[in-house]
Amino acid sequence: MGADKVDGKASGRAGGSFNNKSIETAATGAQRRPRPAARTLKSQAMAWRMLRASLTRRRARVVIALLAVAIGATALSALAAIAIDIPRQMAREMRAYGANLLILPEPGRQTVPASTTAQIDGLVGDGDLLGRAPYRYQTVRINSQPYLAAGTDLAAVRQVSPYWQVEGEWPSRDGQLLVGADIAAWIGLAPGDGVELEMGDSKQRFTASGVLSTGGGEDSLIVMGLEDLGQLAGESGQYDLIEYSVAVSGGDVEALADRVNATVSGVSAAGVKRLTESDAYVLGLLKSLLGLIAVIVLALTMIGVSTTMMAVVAERRAEIALRKALGASNRSVEREFLGEALALGALGGALGAALGHLCAELISRNVFHRHIGVTWWLPLVAVVASTAVAWAASLIPVRRAAEVDPAIVLREE
Amino acid sequence: MPAEDEEKGEPMTDLLELQNVSKTYGGLHALASLSLTVPRGQWLSVVGPSGSGKTTLMNIVGCLDRASSGRVVLDGVELGGLRSRDLTEIRRNTVGLIFQKFHLIPHLTAVENVMTAQYYHSMVDEAEALAALERVGLRQRAAHLPSQLSGGEQQRVCIARALINYPALILADEPTGNLDADNEEIVLEIFRGLHAEGTTLIVVTHDPTVAAQGQREIALDHGRLVKEVFHGR
Ligand SMILES: Nc1ncnc2c1ncn2[C@@H]1O[C@H](COP(=O)(O)OP(=O)(O)O)[C@@H](O)[C@H]1O
Ligand SMILES: [Mg+2]
Repeated sequence: MGADKVDGKASGRAGGSFNNKSIETAATGAQRRPRPAARTLKSQAMAWRMLRASLTRRRARVVIALLAVAIGATALSALAAIAIDIPRQMAREMRAYGANLLILPEPGRQTVPASTTAQIDGLVGDGDLLGRAPYRYQTVRINSQPYLAAGTDLAAVRQVSPYWQVEGEWPSRDGQLLVGADIAAWIGLAPGDGVELEMGDSKQRFTASGVLSTGGGEDSLIVMGLEDLGQLAGESGQYDLIEYSVAVSGGDVEALADRVNATVSGVSAAGVKRLTESDAYVLGLLKSLLGLIAVIVLALTMIGVSTTMMAVVAERRAEIALRKALGASNRSVEREFLGEALALGALGGALGAALGHLCAELISRNVFHRHIGVTWWLPLVAVVASTAVAWAASLIPVRRAAEVDPAIVLREE
Repeated sequence: MPAEDEEKGEPMTDLLELQNVSKTYGGLHALASLSLTVPRGQWLSVVGPSGSGKTTLMNIVGCLDRASSGRVVLDGVELGGLRSRDLTEIRRNTVGLIFQKFHLIPHLTAVENVMTAQYYHSMVDEAEALAALERVGLRQRAAHLPSQLSGGEQQRVCIARALINYPALILADEPTGNLDADNEEIVLEIFRGLHAEGTTLIVVTHDPTVAAQGQREIALDHGRLVKEVFHGR
């Protein structure tokens, strides 16, 4: 402390005796204050420093407060991720079963003749026909091992089943096919590799343009064009089934099936209930259930966080009283503690968003056998919401704590 | 009295004046019609048995509490009837507090504890806070947390914090109550320095040697002034 400084700032002791300077400065304390801008900057730096110290040097307490926030944020963001993802997952399933009219051979017959399609198309009507995918199944051998091969209209399948994941390329010309992921792994096949299919006496080389994975039965299937399979089998014009996707629903599909059965000989038509119709209700129920759980979790989080904040504040009563004794206003005490609450809320929210994503991923993998969809704004919402919850939950405990009588500092002995 | 005082129209006043000050808790008179005048620069010791009203007196003089009746004038300002916000303002600008139990903020380092007082007072200046620690012989311990300091060292940090804003009045309630003889001497030495510089000191103590350091010693009992001694210094 240099002598010049003492002279400029001292109130009670500049120079040893009761000289004029000391009295003057003591009476007008405001004169000692520096310009506001500089003061604000340095004060902010100190506020940050105190916040950092409180967060990093009170680890055990901070961890508990963080957990109180993070547990709620985890549960809520997992719920939200799943609630957002369920319709998306369902939509994929729905497209997988996009066909709502199934044409099978009449009892006693082996196959559906290709010639019937024109007739059925006519009954459906041009306007209502969304897609038609015929399937023919044959057992083929690769290296003397039997596998099931499906011949179909690849362009139609690609439209009806957009969820099919193909590593490599979709077949674009004759002689190319898709190999299911399980088979590819089993025989060590990569996209672009050649593969020889055998059936009876005939043999033919194909190129596996892509490896197909759906997480379902298709993974152990070889999928190729109808013509290619027909050539290998030495037959054509026969299907095992035809899937129609028509733009009618409910009872109208049944009526259409009846008409097909009455008019077209050799086939047996049946309406297939689309997943949408049967599950729209369940889906709605599930979503309101998730919403209810979310509200409960939110309430529990509020209670947990405010209890924690109350405990934190109660524990620091003496500190608050001391700060007030040193000249802190109620408002600055509130600001400091709410600042801590905001920081805890943001950190807890970030932690919860990460953990929540992990939980949702775990659930999605077990229930849907797929990765959870990533919703980019969800972590942002989690952080903002947790911060808001921590703030709201701290408001009352902090207000009350700021009322502490500073006289207790001297009393507590 | 310097002539300049008259020129400014600001006559030399006592720093503290109490007239018939009482503080009652229910029926209990913690302070009973106490009158006391403390001139600027005086080192006043306050002694008395436990419960005699010493801490109550410190709280009222330190603007931490209000008198039930009577008149308190601190540094020319009448405290009665002030809003608590104004009391805070006066406390912040005029009073430095030293406690028996030190009351440092446990998660702040020594220098940060000193800076806290700057923060609430006016401007934070770490160099100056370090200089204050230097003055109490703790420059080397500036980055230590209170838990890493001995009792004597904690009390010195507390003193550095009390004097960082150049208060006109230092109030110390049993400042050496928790210290051994060596640390007591260090603290007294600091007080002597402050006194030499003209700071007004009011020191509550049980210890006759500490009390004898003051220029003047008053004894309280049941909230009354029962004895007054001037030490010849
Ligand atoms: N907040 C309070 N409520 C009730 N009584 C109090 C309170 N504070 C102090 N007292 C009483 O006032 C008297 C004086 O207390 P105090 O000033 O702390 O004495 P000292 O500091 O001299 O030991 C004591 O009898 C004490 O019990
Ligand atoms: Mg006491």
